[in-house]
Amino acid sequence: MDAFMFWFFGGCALAGAALVALMPKLVHSAFALVLSLLGVAGLYWTLGADFLGGVQLLVYVGGITILFIYGIMLTPRDATRWSLGTLVLPGVLVAVPVAVLMSVAWQGLAAALKPAAPVTSAPTTDAIGTALLMRDQYLIPFELSSLVLLAALVGSVYLARRRKGG
Amino acid sequence: MPLLAAEGVSHLGGYFFISSAMFVLGIFTMVTRRNAIYVLMGAELILNAAALNFVAFARHHGRAGALDGQMFAIFIIILAAAEAAVALGIVLQLYHHFPTIDVSKPDRLGD
Repeated sequence: MDAFMFWFFGGCALAGAALVALMPKLVHSAFALVLSLLGVAGLYWTLGADFLGGVQLLVYVGGITILFIYGIMLTPRDATRWSLGTLVLPGVLVAVPVAVLMSVAWQGLAAALKPAAPVTSAPTTDAIGTALLMRDQYLIPFELSSLVLLAALVGSVYLARRRKGG
Repeated sequence: MPLLAAEGVSHLGGYFFISSAMFVLGIFTMVTRRNAIYVLMGAELILNAAALNFVAFARHHGRAGALDGQMFAIFIIILAAAEAAVALGIVLQLYHHFPTIDVSKPDRLGD
């Protein structure tokens, strides 16, 4: 059952990512991105990260995707047509070395890592909330991230507004 | 330890395989597309792959009971949300200045 869930969600994530890379139309890629993000949320759940999976659903699937859809609607359609052969060669030239690097890295990691200890699953929401508010754990990054979000909020409104006469 | 060990496919190797593949596909998307929104989508794929790797490695090899990997993933999601909002604002402004969002076309700063 565990393996089935892993391959189901992992397959969603991989298929979505592949469709984002290969779909000719922007809107189709946006919906493929939704599939991929849903798969990642499921993978978080298989890792016992229930709160993180929920956050992934709310923020990514519910929020960032909507932003992308708005971005697509507000910009010209088919500004660039996806055609095989223009930039695919550079893409392969960049992607294949990275993939090779990943597999080499895995060979090194697998030798270095100790065998995994058995892990238990418990709800993590309470523990995450406590860790975010403990001064010796994540309080400072938590407060700083609220500043970052405020700056991003003001900045994106300022950037996206329509200037008079411009 | 082979990448997809037979005794447990949901072992760390499987997660590493999936996050690596998402990372590579994200890079491929960023390199092959000229539309700015595609480039942002590729960036989102890369960020998701990194966050998934953090959680998987912390789950299998982190301190027992610690949430460090999940915390990293949460901060990655926070920063990705901020990044997406600002970047799409920039894309809209780009479209107002130049009548295109092709990232290879704009060639000047300011007016």
